Amino acid sequence: MGFFDNQPDIQHIPEGRIEGIAKVTGSGKYAAEYKVNNQCYGVLVGSSVAAGTIKSISLDDAKQVAGVIDILTHQHKPFVPGFADEAKIKEAHFGLPIFYTDKIYFKGQPIAMVIAETLEEATYAASLVSADYTIDKANVDFDKSHPGIAASNTGKERGSLDSWSNVPYVTEAEYTIQNEVHNPMEMHATIAQWTSDDKLKLYDKNQGVNNVQRTFAKLWNIPTGNIEVISEFVGGGFGSGLRVWPHTFATIMAARQVKRPVKLMLTRPQMFLLVGYRPASWQKIKIGADSNGQFAGIWHIAKHSTSVYENFEDGITRITRMVYKFSNLKTESAIVPLNLSAPTWMRGPGDCTGAFAVECAIDELSYQLKQDPVELRLKNLAIEKDPENGKTWSTNFLNEGIQKGATMINWKNRQPVPGQETDGDWKIGYGMAVGMWGAGRGKAGASIKMQRDGTITVRTAMTDIGTGTGTAMQNIAHDFTGISKNNIKVELGNSNLPPAPSQGGSTGLSSISGAVVATCEALKQKLAGYASLQNDVYKDALAKDILLSDTGISYKANFISYASLWEKNNLDLVEAEASSGPGEERQKFSFCSSAAHFCRVRVHSKTGKVKIDKMVCVVDGGKIVNEKAAANQVSGAAAGGIGMALMEEQPVDTRYGSLVGNDLAGYHFAVNADSPIVEVAFINKPDVNINPTGSKGLGEVGIIGSAAAIANAIYNATGKRLRNLPITPDKILQA
Amino acid sequence: MRPFTLSKPSTISQAVSGKNEAVRYIAGGTNLLDLMKKHISEPDALLDVTTLLSDTVQSAPKGIRIGAMVRNSVAASNSDIRSGFPLVAKAILAGASPQIRNMASMGGNLLQRTRCPYFYDITMPCNKRKPGSGCGAKDGENRMSAVVGYSEHCVAVHPSDLCIALAALDASVIVTGKDQKAIAIPFKDFHRLPGSTPEKDNNLPENAIITSIDIPANAFNKNYAYLKVRDRDSYAFALVSVAAALQLDGLRIREARLASGGVAHKPWRWYEAEQFLKGKEATQATFSQAADIVIKEIKPLSNNGFKLPMLKGAIEVALQNCLTA
Amino acid sequence: MEKQTYSRRFFLTTSSLLATFAFIPESVKAFYSNVKKLVIRPKEELRFLVTINKKKYRINADSRTTLLDLVREQLQLTGTKKGCDHGQCGACTVHVDGQRVLSCLTLAAMVQDKNVTTIEGLADGDKLHPMQQAFIECDGFQCGYCTPGQIMSAVACVNEGHTGSVEEIKEFMSGNLCRCGAYNGIVESIQKVAR
Repeated sequence: MGFFDNQPDIQHIPEGRIEGIAKVTGSGKYAAEYKVNNQCYGVLVGSSVAAGTIKSISLDDAKQVAGVIDILTHQHKPFVPGFADEAKIKEAHFGLPIFYTDKIYFKGQPIAMVIAETLEEATYAASLVSADYTIDKANVDFDKSHPGIAASNTGKERGSLDSWSNVPYVTEAEYTIQNEVHNPMEMHATIAQWTSDDKLKLYDKNQGVNNVQRTFAKLWNIPTGNIEVISEFVGGGFGSGLRVWPHTFATIMAARQVKRPVKLMLTRPQMFLLVGYRPASWQKIKIGADSNGQFAGIWHIAKHSTSVYENFEDGITRITRMVYKFSNLKTESAIVPLNLSAPTWMRGPGDCTGAFAVECAIDELSYQLKQDPVELRLKNLAIEKDPENGKTWSTNFLNEGIQKGATMINWKNRQPVPGQETDGDWKIGYGMAVGMWGAGRGKAGASIKMQRDGTITVRTAMTDIGTGTGTAMQNIAHDFTGISKNNIKVELGNSNLPPAPSQGGSTGLSSISGAVVATCEALKQKLAGYASLQNDVYKDALAKDILLSDTGISYKANFISYASLWEKNNLDLVEAEASSGPGEERQKFSFCSSAAHFCRVRVHSKTGKVKIDKMVCVVDGGKIVNEKAAANQVSGAAAGGIGMALMEEQPVDTRYGSLVGNDLAGYHFAVNADSPIVEVAFINKPDVNINPTGSKGLGEVGIIGSAAAIANAIYNATGKRLRNLPITPDKILQA
Repeated sequence: MRPFTLSKPSTISQAVSGKNEAVRYIAGGTNLLDLMKKHISEPDALLDVTTLLSDTVQSAPKGIRIGAMVRNSVAASNSDIRSGFPLVAKAILAGASPQIRNMASMGGNLLQRTRCPYFYDITMPCNKRKPGSGCGAKDGENRMSAVVGYSEHCVAVHPSDLCIALAALDASVIVTGKDQKAIAIPFKDFHRLPGSTPEKDNNLPENAIITSIDIPANAFNKNYAYLKVRDRDSYAFALVSVAAALQLDGLRIREARLASGGVAHKPWRWYEAEQFLKGKEATQATFSQAADIVIKEIKPLSNNGFKLPMLKGAIEVALQNCLTA
Repeated sequence: MEKQTYSRRFFLTTSSLLATFAFIPESVKAFYSNVKKLVIRPKEELRFLVTINKKKYRINADSRTTLLDLVREQLQLTGTKKGCDHGQCGACTVHVDGQRVLSCLTLAAMVQDKNVTTIEGLADGDKLHPMQQAFIECDGFQCGYCTPGQIMSAVACVNEGHTGSVEEIKEFMSGNLCRCGAYNGIVESIQKVAR
């Protein structure tokens, strides 16, 4: 399962990620790319209506297609213990009870799965399946629906709204964001294989193999250990792989039904329907300050859409409660059920949406106050203590980040009055905003296998969705053992390996790094145990004083070669396993990662075109383990921010209860030409309390606030305040 | 896709006689295969014409003849096209991606079908895809739709960039029909307006095949511009696009050409504005007045009112860019 | 999907009749051609030879099989990626006769007599292509899924000479979407090789 399996020995390994060669040669296997004998293909058929009940499904035409093996529907599917009755389905909390309901909740909901010998046959036959429905009225209109749903408090109100009703500077405005879709480049895929009646093997695209394993163990009522989930290479997730979706379940059912391995890869249109999206949102912010620019209070109401069959709460107001000192604060939220598929966490979930509104509102306030937005923020940051719980931040360097970013972008060149800087038809402006993300950490396990030749393999079930987890694990193992990187291999993304949390919410590295450190120590201790049989001094050796090299172990200048250690103890393989998780430090401190975003934009006054000239992102992610990969992740998040700010939008047609245009020609995210060379810098100071490496996640903060920075820069350039994302050229021209 | 046979006719006459409404010619395939995968086009048979049609560019004093099978990228880098008809090269490079331009044929480019999302989704009403089913875009998501020349039956726009330049330069389309005779169709007559038969994109005679595109020699190779406004910087269809070309005597405009994409069911020439420009001084004021004439013609739909200021701006900028080309 | 109301046997007979009798009135033809559309056609199997990465393959494939599905599903050359299957992302970029094209919009049967190069054929044995090397050194990827397409496109971009400036590289690499946004490293890799 190693990254280099199926690889010829390559003489010169260039400096880079451990899986680099597998990725640049195409030899790394993503979920749909494993060869499994006797495997057939599944294709899902979606409903053509948005709400109602299936009256009948017509399969005759599809069955005429040569190669069709079977077709799953709600009337023809295998028995699933976890879906045995209504009560069980409810208890399973799975979301859509695929093939176990005749109800239609959204257009495109899977109503059948055609299984055929070839992909061409399955795809063709799927196009021939049709259904009759009793059609109910569908509602997909977020704009019209949200005013009718009352918001309720999220968290405790601080102070009161009345107490700042007379402050001299107040802005109040509404902000909206359209549906955004993750669209990782790899479409979600599963190969399901029942290796025996109660043993299941899954090659699956997801962000957490143990989560998949647990979910299906429960649904099929089989021991967790009977399910092996392999997700060695994951072609991007951005949150879409954080939960288990109906299509994976459908594939398992299909494999059960036809007693053969079945492969399913979603189509790109299905990627818009079946694996979540960032829900459309409406926010209202009222924020006030005294004449010095000290924030007096904030009132933040946020509503977003969800599905009618499952609730999803994005947590939009969370960020409002953590970045600044607001002595008066009220946050409220509501979710609006619609006949659309269930939304889910998408990169910087909640906070990304909330930060757009809050950071734009603060910008608006700064112009009212005639104060520099950088200064205004520095003045109001809650830099010592987490305002939510009064705990001291373990580390919070957002102030330094803001100052550094301002220098990098040449903030001093910004005109305080909008619309002053021009270049022909182009108007030029500067904007900034900040982002913050609670730095989490989960309990994770890892193991190390050491061979006689001194090479080690560090292993965990955690996936690497492109963040560089594997490479970071190698770097940490190198730092904590002393063994050279060339002698450290990494295996991950397999549920048979030591369990680890899903990779998401910027907790991956923070969680796994502790486990790798603990395992390195366990390995040292184990080797010291063997060494003590040869040399007594090792008896009292502490892991931190033991040094490993490529050739042997040493303690206080007592060196013993691996060869002799193996020889004397008659060893074959030395294995160590350990796990590590958060502890008491969580009682004492609050933890955060943060980012300061700056950009310079050009806005064409005649065509409305926005060009990002320069983009700067300064991130506090604690100690940076691998600067290249970290910078890549942050500049990539900036490209995501550009998409969010300027182009990403999945429209719906309220008349037909339908998405309009569900492909990558219509759903735009940033191409290479849209993104400048993003300038990234790190604070790079360890957070010594969070975990043994002092590193914190940075995948989310890279995008939290960046859309606001762009919107604020557009205002500075043009004097036009755009509060509805995405800011496409039409909106600029019509503002 | 629905199953189909694939064969390779060896002569044009074989191709034309083997063609009927259930048969499609395939060249670059960049649009046709997409449509087939979407079940919008479900032919019984494909005739591979990639080796049948000319893939050469012939230059003569009277003009240039571009073989229908010349790939878009080859045309864009052809030295005769770049020197004599640079507007064409510029328009090609504004469209699609390098990979698609390497595949797509010049003839096929003319036959691209609309990218209207209602046309592309077989669960939606669309008179162009399924006559009589209604037009979903007219009162729906019509941000990308037409602002001129549309009908109550269809508000789709033609997606090509190349065609805007060809329309501006009065190209003609050379086709061979069932009778095996080659005829030339003036570019302005090639594409249609939707009227009550939006299922027909163009006036290509039934079963005929495009063999080449002719562009008459002209003096629009010095002052020209192609401006495309889109939601992202590349690899996106136009919100609006403008092909502009001027012939100048000093600062005086001798001849002007002005055409737009993203505005109509066919490449749209702004004849009145062209007439206006003729004989005027090439100044910002003149360009602005020409743009005003253009926008008088247009009638935006519920969601694309922005095309009015955008078109005005784009025309002004494109004309201005002609002076610095 | 339109509802079918006639028996298949009936279609088959009438459609073959249609081919035989050319004198059927237009109205009847129109009716039958509607009916004919609903006929479930058998698949068309084609035999042909293709050359992929300098290796000749004898192929037996459905006429519908794209070059992308041929390499991924039949030949186990899974380095070429399916990112959209509709020519909208560039993940499936391969070279046909040295030109970068999209394998998802290419029928496999239409590349017979042509030379196809996929990502698996780019390295010279164990020796990485300079572009592959550059992508590793410049960290021109994250999740790696668009990477083979990016690299195939990048090699072509250099060969085409579209590397005059960062802007030119960006424009001529915009047919390859990267959702991770590894654009910094992709541009840097190309600059490195073009130098």
